[in-house]
Amino acid sequence: MGRSTIEELRLLGAKLSGRSIQHINSTATGGGVAEILARMVPLLSQLGVSSGWSVFKGTEDFFKVTKKFHNALHGWEKENARVTQEDLSLFLEVSEKNIAELELYGDIIFVHDPQPVALVKRKGEVGRSWLWRCHIDVSRPNPEVWDFVRGFVVNYDAAVFSAPAFAQQLPVRQFLISPSIDPLSDKNKELPQSTIDSVLERLGIPQDKPLVTQVSRFDYLKDPVGVIEAFDLVKKSIDCRLVLAGGGATDDPEGERVLAEVRERADGVPDVHLLLLPGGSDIEINALQRASAVVLQKSLKEGFGLTVSEALWKAKPVVASAVGGIPLQVKNRFTGLLSHGVEGTAYAIRQLLANPDYARRLGEQGKEHVRQNFLITRHLREYMLLFLAVGHREEVIYL
Amino acid sequence: MLAIPGAVFVAVMVIGLWLRRMGYRAFDAWAKDRKWSWHETAVQATAKASALWTGLVALYLSVRVSAAPPEWKRLVGLVLLSLLVVSIAVVAIRFTLRIIEAYMAKAKASPRSIATTRNIATGVITVVTALVLLDIWGIPTSPFILLLAVVIVALVLAFRNVVPNLFAGLQLTAMGQLREGDYIKLGTGEEGYLTDISLVQSRIQALDGSFILVPNDKLMHTTVTNYGRPLKKAAEPFRFYSRTHLKELTGLKAGNLWELLELLKTVPESTIYYHTHHFLEEHQYLTPEPANDFALWVSDVIGDEVLGEKLASVDTFSFSSLAALRERLVGIIEEHLATESERRNAPQGREFYFMKSVSLVTPTSYLAHDLREFVQALHKISLGSLYYHVFEARLRLGRPTNDFSVWMNEYVDEADLAEQVAHLDPYNHTLEGLRSTLVQLIEKRIK
Repeated sequence: MGRSTIEELRLLGAKLSGRSIQHINSTATGGGVAEILARMVPLLSQLGVSSGWSVFKGTEDFFKVTKKFHNALHGWEKENARVTQEDLSLFLEVSEKNIAELELYGDIIFVHDPQPVALVKRKGEVGRSWLWRCHIDVSRPNPEVWDFVRGFVVNYDAAVFSAPAFAQQLPVRQFLISPSIDPLSDKNKELPQSTIDSVLERLGIPQDKPLVTQVSRFDYLKDPVGVIEAFDLVKKSIDCRLVLAGGGATDDPEGERVLAEVRERADGVPDVHLLLLPGGSDIEINALQRASAVVLQKSLKEGFGLTVSEALWKAKPVVASAVGGIPLQVKNRFTGLLSHGVEGTAYAIRQLLANPDYARRLGEQGKEHVRQNFLITRHLREYMLLFLAVGHREEVIYL
Repeated sequence: MLAIPGAVFVAVMVIGLWLRRMGYRAFDAWAKDRKWSWHETAVQATAKASALWTGLVALYLSVRVSAAPPEWKRLVGLVLLSLLVVSIAVVAIRFTLRIIEAYMAKAKASPRSIATTRNIATGVITVVTALVLLDIWGIPTSPFILLLAVVIVALVLAFRNVVPNLFAGLQLTAMGQLREGDYIKLGTGEEGYLTDISLVQSRIQALDGSFILVPNDKLMHTTVTNYGRPLKKAAEPFRFYSRTHLKELTGLKAGNLWELLELLKTVPESTIYYHTHHFLEEHQYLTPEPANDFALWVSDVIGDEVLGEKLASVDTFSFSSLAALRERLVGIIEEHLATESERRNAPQGREFYFMKSVSLVTPTSYLAHDLREFVQALHKISLGSLYYHVFEARLRLGRPTNDFSVWMNEYVDEADLAEQVAHLDPYNHTLEGLRSTLVQLIEKRIK
């Protein structure tokens, strides 16, 4: 990161002096949103922008409902995406409780994802600007659920999405801001080979064969079963190991059920390692990604897929589904390979394992792509620009 | 009783003054022959003193031949010798100070450096004179010399870091290769205008207004590029602005060429601007000459490589307005669709999503009053700043050419350079490549 980048951030920070930002989401740990906020909030403060983070209080039943919202907004059509009238009532009931109890203090209230979306009811009372940040792939949402959420979104001053395809017909301004990774965090910093070796030894993963890894929550939308099927196909011609590593998030109640299904599917497939990592296993994830020959992200739906940027930052060749925000990170055949199904994924993995020079070139270009577009400095800059731009209608704003 | 001493005094005075006159004549001839520049100074410093020295010698000899008691003769001898030593010291100080002033003025040393050097020279001569006087009067000097040595060693130890800088400062001043007002760049990266060379350290004023203090020893032992005196000042300084941008989603999308055409006709100009420019900033590591988004989508998603090539070959640099650029893009697609019957649709999720760019422009701390300051700032500004003054200024803000060229032509009176910068096609470079080309052009001019 150059001096001019820091100067630019400080300059923008100074322009925001005197305004306070309040981020609100539904979980303090687990998942990409909490991870970004945990880095973003202190960095904003360091730049002189008064910034805080509040967590919306949900119940177990509430999170079951919002998980259905999540699945439905992703366009998932199975049972776990069917939202009933009772679900909507429960959602509104918990939202009302939070509307009454949650302390709101920011000049700019920045609400993340659908769980706390209803807080905007207090717009007239507090905050100069209300922003809604959608981390979900809403390119083809379930219309009923989207209409319900949309009813709240239209009251915000602006909405922020992670990919162009997520844009909606809305009466409010919509901005495109991709998430980011922090290159200095435990999950992404450089690791000595000895640390990588010891982590793999501790996790019981031999390094005798090339590792193919997917790091993701155990979630249907991440298609862990599809990953095992693709691996099964690869294994017929190339000897390698599969690592499926993931943790849970407090707002995701489906994890255990998915893990059980994955275990069942993996039964009898040799060289498959399932790892349920506890929260804070950043060094372990870092080591696994660095030790891998190929990193997968075979999602069926994806808000953005920060694990892709994490792998690219480590100059790893990536095979990922062309869904959600992934095509922004993986420019097919330039910074990785995009796939559209189990067979395509298996074919791409074979290509990379059989052509290490090609794989290395993709990895190097991928790292450069992340350096320019998906590091937290860019993300910080765009958030500050958003806070500054939200009150203006012009296309060229002089600050 | 006084006749003999009086006669000796008069005789010695006459002979002495005659010898003094002859001596000056010989000295004048010698100095003229060798064109010794300090001749005048030496004569001025010794003219009166040499007459005094003659008088002192005459007085001493006349006392020697008098009938005065020996202890009186010895006492008068010591007094006269002391006066001689003091007067020689005064002359030496005067001469040395004039040399110091003349040399240091020639080297454009600062008044503070000159004053410090004068004080040091005066101090050294005074101490030596005092030691000689003590010796003349028979007072043991060894303890004083010892004390002096101890003080000198203590000072050297206490100021051991200062001493090399002091010598370096004297050397720098004497060499005269660096002068106040010069623009210099050190091998270690610091650069700016040299505003002061004192005996111990020098002060450099960087372009952002901050001061850098450099020990003289470092200045002597590192590579220093001296760009010389400031260049012609611009009538108005150039203020660098930085531009960052937000991507705004329009919610509009096209699934085939007909939809693309219809939307292309009506979307705001900021959308045309975004899709023909954003690649420059985001993917510059992949290709130095990026194609616009329309061309990429038509080739990669719709699979119409012929139309894709036509759209990619549009020379954005040749358009002076976004309206004209839009007209050209629309014209190419219309012409192509006139012979096209097959309607190919983009796969789900790969439609063309129209976006636009919202620019936020902020002034930076970089200000250039001349071309040298300009090129130094150009090294440091962000790519967003470069982008703003070159790309955004011309096509989006409707200026006749890029901001740099306008400034060089209108405020620095550098029409030729301005023309070269105006004709530089920025779309054929990466942003870093463009920065480097601009720097080379300007450096070539100012050297």
